[in-house]
Amino acid sequence: MSVTLALALGLIGSILAPFAAARWKTIGNALVVAVPALLFIFFFLQLGAVGEAPIVEENPWVPSLGIALTIRLDGFSLLFALLISGIGTLVALYAASYMDEKTPFYRAQFLFYILLFMSAMLATVTADNLMALFVFWEMTSLLSFLLVGFDSTKLAARKAALQSMLVTVGGGLSLLAGIILIGVTAGTFSIGALMENPAPLVESPLFTAIIILMMAGAFTKSAQVPFHFWLPNAMAAPTPASAYLHSATMVKLGVFLLATMAPIFSQAAWFGPTLVAFGGATMLIAALQALRSTAFKAVLAFSTVASLGTITMLIGLDGEVAAVATVGFILAHALYKAALFFCAGIVIHATGEPRLNRLGGLASVMPITAGATVLAAFSAAGLPPFVGFISKEYLFEAQIESTFTAIAVLIGVLVNTVMVAIAVVVVMRPFFRPARRELHVHHGEATGMTVGPVALGLIGLLFGLAPGLVATSLIQPAASAIYGEPLDVSFYLWHGFTPMLALSILVVALGLLVAKYWDPIHVALRRRRIFDRLLDDRGYYWVLDNTLALARWSTLRLQNGDLRIYTAVIATVVTFFMVYALLAGDGPVFPSVNHPEFNLYMVGVVGLIIVGCFVAALTTSLVTAIIGVGLAGYGLALVFLLNGGPDLALTQFSVETLFVVIVTAVLLRLPLMFTKTRTPGERRYDASLAAVFALTIFSAVLWVEAVPFNPVIPEYFAQVSYTEAFGRNVVNVVLVDFRALDTFGEIAVVAFAALGAWALLRRNNVAKKKPAATPAKEG
Amino acid sequence: MRSIILVASTRIFFIAMLLVSLWILLRGHNEPGGGFIGGLMGAAAFATLAFAAGVDDARKMLRIHPAVLMGVGLVLGAVSGLPGVVLNGSYLQHQWLEMDLGLFELKLGTTLVFDIGVYFVVIGGVLSFMFRLYEEEQG
Repeated sequence: MSVTLALALGLIGSILAPFAAARWKTIGNALVVAVPALLFIFFFLQLGAVGEAPIVEENPWVPSLGIALTIRLDGFSLLFALLISGIGTLVALYAASYMDEKTPFYRAQFLFYILLFMSAMLATVTADNLMALFVFWEMTSLLSFLLVGFDSTKLAARKAALQSMLVTVGGGLSLLAGIILIGVTAGTFSIGALMENPAPLVESPLFTAIIILMMAGAFTKSAQVPFHFWLPNAMAAPTPASAYLHSATMVKLGVFLLATMAPIFSQAAWFGPTLVAFGGATMLIAALQALRSTAFKAVLAFSTVASLGTITMLIGLDGEVAAVATVGFILAHALYKAALFFCAGIVIHATGEPRLNRLGGLASVMPITAGATVLAAFSAAGLPPFVGFISKEYLFEAQIESTFTAIAVLIGVLVNTVMVAIAVVVVMRPFFRPARRELHVHHGEATGMTVGPVALGLIGLLFGLAPGLVATSLIQPAASAIYGEPLDVSFYLWHGFTPMLALSILVVALGLLVAKYWDPIHVALRRRRIFDRLLDDRGYYWVLDNTLALARWSTLRLQNGDLRIYTAVIATVVTFFMVYALLAGDGPVFPSVNHPEFNLYMVGVVGLIIVGCFVAALTTSLVTAIIGVGLAGYGLALVFLLNGGPDLALTQFSVETLFVVIVTAVLLRLPLMFTKTRTPGERRYDASLAAVFALTIFSAVLWVEAVPFNPVIPEYFAQVSYTEAFGRNVVNVVLVDFRALDTFGEIAVVAFAALGAWALLRRNNVAKKKPAATPAKEG
Repeated sequence: MRSIILVASTRIFFIAMLLVSLWILLRGHNEPGGGFIGGLMGAAAFATLAFAAGVDDARKMLRIHPAVLMGVGLVLGAVSGLPGVVLNGSYLQHQWLEMDLGLFELKLGTTLVFDIGVYFVVIGGVLSFMFRLYEEEQG
């Protein structure tokens, strides 16, 4: 079975299964778990196939734009696909149980978003075409928005949802700009083609701009400084979504993109150091904020941000070990962090208490959860024999071997100390330390919810004890993919007495110390309000508020309800751009005026138009003004008729007639005389604007006349109109046949504009004024 | 303030204008005319009727709601492209049916369906808000 087919079937299953879950609980829930589970098995079977070269399957999508829905599954994307489908299976199982007491519709809606997200995420990591990748990338942002704001009755959830979407979609725009520039410079959107021939991209003067734009997109998605604030706020999502999107998978898309593009981007010398700088800053700030956090999920969220910073730093570090460390860390982190979120969800669900320091003594009530938390926390703290230990050894080795030794190691030690402390605290606080005040436990552990964390914890232990299981099958292809050439990978538990081991021991010792004095440190740091000012989302609100203020200001100035302002603004803008267009380039060209023949009747018609215009401009009576405008309009229709445009003339006549009929209806409600509301100064401005506008149009028309007329298109239409479309009226044939899609668009616009006007003229506007006289009628 | 002469003559005018609008619509493919112009003319016919005899009369004469008429028009426009998809593989590529009726040869194309759609949208679009304008004025 091809990857394309598997993804398509997965999408179909993701859409259908939740509908089944809404109707039949047991079967539906089983189906919801089966969809990601089958995908996981499918990707698991691909393990052997990606070792040498990526699997590539080409499916045309928008051939006219060179966008193919090509699937490219290399070692690195397979690692992600396995994490997405594997953890997705556990999340579906967990969520079905987590939402057990909710209504079937609520539960099914949540599962629907989760499975759709999984499909979008799988498509993102397997897409070869950057445009396709971008589309799926944005889908994950939208689904994240829906999931963060899932408790839509809560203001905080709605705010966090909007924030996460504005930040990630804003970064997505930057990413799109970068992708377009890649397409322009390299002539291809295909990642595979870029890898084979990066030269046009690397040598382009736009290379720097491309890297910065794509980096900005990746940093917003992966919550790197200065966009780190949205991820902790996104914890307003239900816990299964937090575990899945905001820890294990979606937030890693940014680092996924950076790692995928790293073999090309690293040819810019500043790429690596920049990633190290931003990653390091993110690690430090997140570690600090984790120490200042009170809520269970917030602590985990900040430790996730710190981990994302670690991955960013690892991508920026040079050397083979860095590639192995990146892959190992992504794997280990996904396993233990998802498990910790699962456990946090169980605790919060059972007690209704989100604050870490209010929890306690739960080990006796929830022994399985406590056990799973211990397993995951050991891996998170980097203790042997867990996979987290191996990944931390490689992390330190990569930092030591890189060119940034001192600073990278220092940041690594500081941040990992906090990670160890967090691991200790999230185990000891809720489960083993007695509660400070009595805790009301609503219910025990549900099997559906404990399977996930226990499985993930045991896998973390298994991979730690037997790293050979993943070393050659998973780590080696993935590390080779992001390094750019095949690597010989060693991934094992015991490295002997090395500097890395010494650092590990140091980190654990320091971490235990911080954990012991967690409360005083927490309180002391929390009191420092300066951190709030520097590190929270004030910048975001500053940008948001000012954007809204700008919108209000422009609405107030430009759309103040005075029709004359609207007309003046439109006329000014159009005049400005037309004058610019006329003066730019070759400048205006005027034809030699040699009129073919002098027609007396044309003089009469034009005279009619001029008289009409003067009447309309000078009169103080509305009715006279309408007649004047009508006179000009009919005169224009006559000009069309006399110059061989019967269709245009007929339309103009009809429009003028309707105009008079409609305006009369309005006029009957208005006083028939103008009241002078314009000052002489304003009238002078109006007059000069109108004069300049008219002059501009006049010179534009003259210019059109001066440019030699290209007869190819009209002659073509005149020729084929009857032979191909069986019509002798070329105008009509063009409208209904050759350009029928355009016409269809136009009538749709007419329909929607009319609907808008119709809605604005609702009858109860009148009924409100005279409630007794006119009872509201339908229509 | 309703003039009997105006109302009576408008009814005749209304029928005449509607017939002319249909004629303009149908001749459109070969002579000046077509859905847009025919639709404007048709809308003018109803507008004149509403002006003279009242909106309720005009609404009754139209039978269906103008907004619905717009929808019907859009659907006709969209549907007229479908035979092209089935027969030629291209949306809105119009298809023709030729019949020899002895006296004269009849050619019917999906363009006509499309043009009728345009006709309905224009009539419905103009009338949907014009009726309301008149109602405000009369109410």
